[in-house]
Amino acid sequence: RCRVSMSMTEIRLGFTAIKASIVSIQARDPIKTLSILSHPQSLHKVKSSDRCCITHHLFNFYVDKVFKHCKTEDSYINRKISSIANSFLSMKKKLRQCHEQNKCMCGEESTEKFKQILANYEGLNVTSAAIKSLGELDILLDWMEKSQRAEHV
Amino acid sequence: WGLRVLCCSLPNPRNVHFESINMKNVLHWSAPEGTGHGVLYKVKYLVYGVGKWIRKPECRNINRTWCDLSSETSDYEEQYYASVKAFLNGMCSDWIETTRFNPLTDTKIDPPMVSVSSTEKSISIILTAPEKWKKSPEEESVSLLQVYPGLQYNVSVLNKKTKKRWWFSISNTTLVVPWLEPGTAYCVSAQIHVTTPLLHSGFSKEYCIATLKGMSDEAMT
Repeated sequence: RCRVSMSMTEIRLGFTAIKASIVSIQARDPIKTLSILSHPQSLHKVKSSDRCCITHHLFNFYVDKVFKHCKTEDSYINRKISSIANSFLSMKKKLRQCHEQNKCMCGEESTEKFKQILANYEGLNVTSAAIKSLGELDILLDWMEKSQRAEHV
Repeated sequence: WGLRVLCCSLPNPRNVHFESINMKNVLHWSAPEGTGHGVLYKVKYLVYGVGKWIRKPECRNINRTWCDLSSETSDYEEQYYASVKAFLNGMCSDWIETTRFNPLTDTKIDPPMVSVSSTEKSISIILTAPEKWKKSPEEESVSLLQVYPGLQYNVSVLNKKTKKRWWFSISNTTLVVPWLEPGTAYCVSAQIHVTTPLLHSGFSKEYCIATLKGMSDEAMT
């Protein structure tokens, strides 16, 4: 099994700051009726056996596709975003090691789900998709924390 | 188009926001500037990522400035928006929306319930986390401990005589404080603390109790 430690609190604080900032990262996303991560299929429906693979895919997704397109005119927000990106980058590396050691296998369902997420993302222009994905970080964090707790039960 | 100009010339409701305590999620707003009595409102809400706004019939043509959307926003794995429109004398405002509401991270948590008992040299404290809001009394109760399994309690114990205070941070619901002075009053207060997402309640009011008098004290009286 893949065991990776990660400071969720640090990322949470970073996200809370960019959510609460004067022009919130979510306020920059005007499209309320579309979601990248939560609809039509919810992360909360992912089977436990697929969690590691989806997490691995999502960290790659955020590092490779999202953070680099999230530059704003607000240096405070930009600093918070890069600090979150750094945390994701180190997690991405750890998860890749797990994957290489066959501890983070991808089943059909997780592959399908991630395809849906990518389709949601590619349905928008790059900047809108990146800002929307960033605004949905709490959806990812909520799901990861819930999954971590489920593992300890 | 003319109708829209006529209709939407009323100033907008202000400060449209969710106020949430233990996931009882109530939409609040302030009346449009410069409007006195007689303004009516209607409310709609949306599950983020899902394609349509949904009207709230119980909050249609209301004159109050709040609307309870707890039932509609009870799934805390979803996020929501809500919106309000004002009407007066044939005029109306624009729809004014909240920011994105995440019940899991945006709710406030009440302090825990505290019950104390004592022996000669110790006090026992039992803490109970508040329950998540529920639609009806018949519905099964869900403790916030189930919603936030990482929930902890910060407990303060004060010796009323010496004014010395101890602090404890515990995860389980019972705390026994040993080696206390017999026949002495102690006051306990507790707070809930969730590390991630970062949430904490206020402190409960103080619950005071005296340890029993020692055997020697008893003999002397």
